[in-house]
Amino acid sequence: MLQVQNIEKYYGSKNNVTKALDRVSFDVEAGEFLAIMGASGSGKTTLLNCISTIDTISAGEILLDGVSIAGLSEGELAKFRRERLGFVFQDFNLLDTLTIEENIGLALSLNHQDPGTVQNRVREVAGKLGITDVLTKFPYQVSGGQKQRTAVARAMVAGQSLLLADEPTGALDSKASKNLLEIMTAMNRGLGATILMVTHDAYSASYAKRVLFLKDGRVFNELLRGERGRPVFYHEILDVLAALGGDVSDVI
Amino acid sequence: MTLSELSLRNAKRQARDYLVYFVTVVMAAALLYSFNGLVFSQEIITLSKGISVLPLMIVLASVVVVCVFGWLVAYATRFMLLRRGRELGLYLLIGLENRQLTRLFFLENLAVGGCALVLGTALGGLLYQAFRAIVLALFGQPYAFSFGFSLPALGLTVLYFALIYLFALRRSRKYIRRANIHDLIYVDRANEGMVIQTGTVRRWMFSFSIVLGVAGTCLLMAGGAILGVIGAGCVIAFLFGFFLSFASGVPAFFDRRPARKYRGQSLLVFRTLTAKLATMGVLMATISMIFTATLISEGSGLVFRGLFAGRAAESACFDLYIGAAGDGPVSRDYFDFIQDNISVERELHYCVYQAEDSRVMDYVESMGEDYHRYFDRDPVLRYSDYAALRAIAGYPPVELKPGEYLIHCRAYLEKHLTGYTQPISLGGASLIPGGVHAEHLMQNYDTGNGARYILVVPDEAAEGLPVFHHAYAAKTAQPVAESQFDLLCDINYRLGEQNLLEPSYDEIHTRASEKAEEAAQTVLVVFPLFYLALALTMTAATILTIQQLSETERYRQQFQLLQKLGMDRREMAKALGRQFTIYYVLPAVPPVLIGIPFILHLSRAPEPGVMAGMNSPGAIAAISLGIFFLIYAIYILLAYTSLRRNVLPQ
Repeated sequence: MLQVQNIEKYYGSKNNVTKALDRVSFDVEAGEFLAIMGASGSGKTTLLNCISTIDTISAGEILLDGVSIAGLSEGELAKFRRERLGFVFQDFNLLDTLTIEENIGLALSLNHQDPGTVQNRVREVAGKLGITDVLTKFPYQVSGGQKQRTAVARAMVAGQSLLLADEPTGALDSKASKNLLEIMTAMNRGLGATILMVTHDAYSASYAKRVLFLKDGRVFNELLRGERGRPVFYHEILDVLAALGGDVSDVI
Repeated sequence: MTLSELSLRNAKRQARDYLVYFVTVVMAAALLYSFNGLVFSQEIITLSKGISVLPLMIVLASVVVVCVFGWLVAYATRFMLLRRGRELGLYLLIGLENRQLTRLFFLENLAVGGCALVLGTALGGLLYQAFRAIVLALFGQPYAFSFGFSLPALGLTVLYFALIYLFALRRSRKYIRRANIHDLIYVDRANEGMVIQTGTVRRWMFSFSIVLGVAGTCLLMAGGAILGVIGAGCVIAFLFGFFLSFASGVPAFFDRRPARKYRGQSLLVFRTLTAKLATMGVLMATISMIFTATLISEGSGLVFRGLFAGRAAESACFDLYIGAAGDGPVSRDYFDFIQDNISVERELHYCVYQAEDSRVMDYVESMGEDYHRYFDRDPVLRYSDYAALRAIAGYPPVELKPGEYLIHCRAYLEKHLTGYTQPISLGGASLIPGGVHAEHLMQNYDTGNGARYILVVPDEAAEGLPVFHHAYAAKTAQPVAESQFDLLCDINYRLGEQNLLEPSYDEIHTRASEKAEEAAQTVLVVFPLFYLALALTMTAATILTIQQLSETERYRQQFQLLQKLGMDRREMAKALGRQFTIYYVLPAVPPVLIGIPFILHLSRAPEPGVMAGMNSPGAIAAISLGIFFLIYAIYILLAYTSLRRNVLPQ
């Protein structure tokens, strides 16, 4: 579904160039749940931003179903974001002026979907995420976990096939984190959603089917869960992090 | 939810979050509408021929005001745009195209502007009534409240508003069209910057800017178009140089003085301020420049008002006055016209004589007043004529004892001439001083009653003295109409042109024409200057306040942390107050240092004696400052109350 081929990303000015991504390549299959881990500054958020078209790449190519996203026009990019892509931020990024229901349905209604369809679709997704009872509330009236589930609902409501999550559990307590990760797993398994999740947290990463480890902008290691149980996979992730040496304290 | 509904909801939030800005835009609409009301008011325009150019003056001032408000709206819109970067980035991320986002932002601002226009027009209707009352009072006309709605005034206001918003939104549109999601979403992660990096450049810039500031102020005071333009350029360069170097110089100053840095709340106050000032150097300089222009506009307005009032008061002391040019009598042609057209209750034909020497004039000159010698000898008036003139002017009678003389002078000479104790000699007789009087008596022209003073002597002492000029003064049953005054001037012009080689004109003044001229000049010059000053103050104060209030959340978090670190509420309030005071006082200091010397200098420029009492230079400077700080204080108070309530932990 997604092919990342030798991408590079440079920041800074002529005299002070920082290489955030250095020839990163990997493929993501449809319906896969992939976690990307790494220390602060390893390039994981930059990678996610490049895939989500929030940021542009300096070299290489990102192909979605064989089509390079760098070659899309402004209109095609908007369509891509609208129909294919869902993004979840660490700090939710909900609009304070809209209710939970309106936040979820915003993208649909702005794109002239039938109002009845919008409401039905919002209620359907909200039901799956367990936030039906807070639909009429505003973001400041609900908990962090409910906010993040709203963000996930917004990211999936239009039937988007690729969910990109940047530290989705970063601002949640352990109970809300577990709840959100279980929901994401259910969406991956039940609805076939493809998920790319950037995280610091080995526990969160253990919900994925595959974990990519980034170090200094490069893919350092890759771990497949296979048929192993989640607790086993969690310990394997910790082992890899330990192999990263001094960086272990940064990533746990 | 459609794009329009979302825009409307965002507009409501914008009006609530940036209430001070919204109120200022409402006030802008009110000001524009009320002044446009004056432009299209037939009642006002037909008050006097003298204000026939009022529409042009107001439209010219409005063009400047539209530019000022255009800048405010453009700045505030851009500011809000940057503050809402994450939100706008999110819209793009969920699939909105840039052009849709542009439309969303446009509709949102259109809703805010439209709402402000409606409210402002209603308020402007009331404001127009206030302006109408002032103008009618200036012209001595009765005022009756009549709330009317002027369609042409509304049309022009809508046009101005459209220009303001099109200018502002064009800039925003360009920004949104070019913005990418990354820049928008991570806009709040941009670092604060230090404008000037090296100490040497900063110190050099600071010193040079101070020199430019002093030079610019001196050049502005020197007057003249070229020097004025150079002076204004120097002042602008000073303000930018000063604020760019000052903002980055404060941290260096405290770093070299750790004892002062860690004393009391200095560290907190200076760090909070310098973080803001470092990225606001250019803005602070612009605001300071606006405040300087405000003070100069207000001061100039008051100087002109004082000048017009001072001149009119002296020239309007008689219902009708004619001073003949040369030493011949006042022409018969005037009296024929007066007899046929003007009802006179009391009149006087009289002469102003020449004394035998100029000893009083010499004394006045020696007092160091700015005094112009119109004559070679002291001017003299017979007591009987003086008494009659006082009666015509409506002043109480005064007594002249035998062997004495009186002095009647302009008020500014009274203090000097009261101390004059020397006798004067006329025809061999010696007269001693009998008192000084200083009511207005047409003493500001060489064909008036003396050269700013006149000696009043017994009639017999004036016998045989040479005549300076003849004059005529009258008290009329009705004020002399503007048309009658015009016809008298026509006679004057015709008589003056008879001497083709050296045309000379008589001096004609009527109380009504002087008052009308004063009113017309005030309306034409002072109204536009104050209009401009008000727009400038509101704009600059709003931008400062928007900047300050936008930091509410950051300040709140900072004070919550300080509370955890053990700072009590009283100390926090004190630190906030100090921070606030410096923030608002800083951009006002250079304008005061530049504006006040300029105003003092300008108010000393008119001829002596005009700028007195409430129009004296000191009073004008004080009133200018008072008006400026009164409007400024409203914004400061609003911002401080809001910040204190929302920032300090309960």
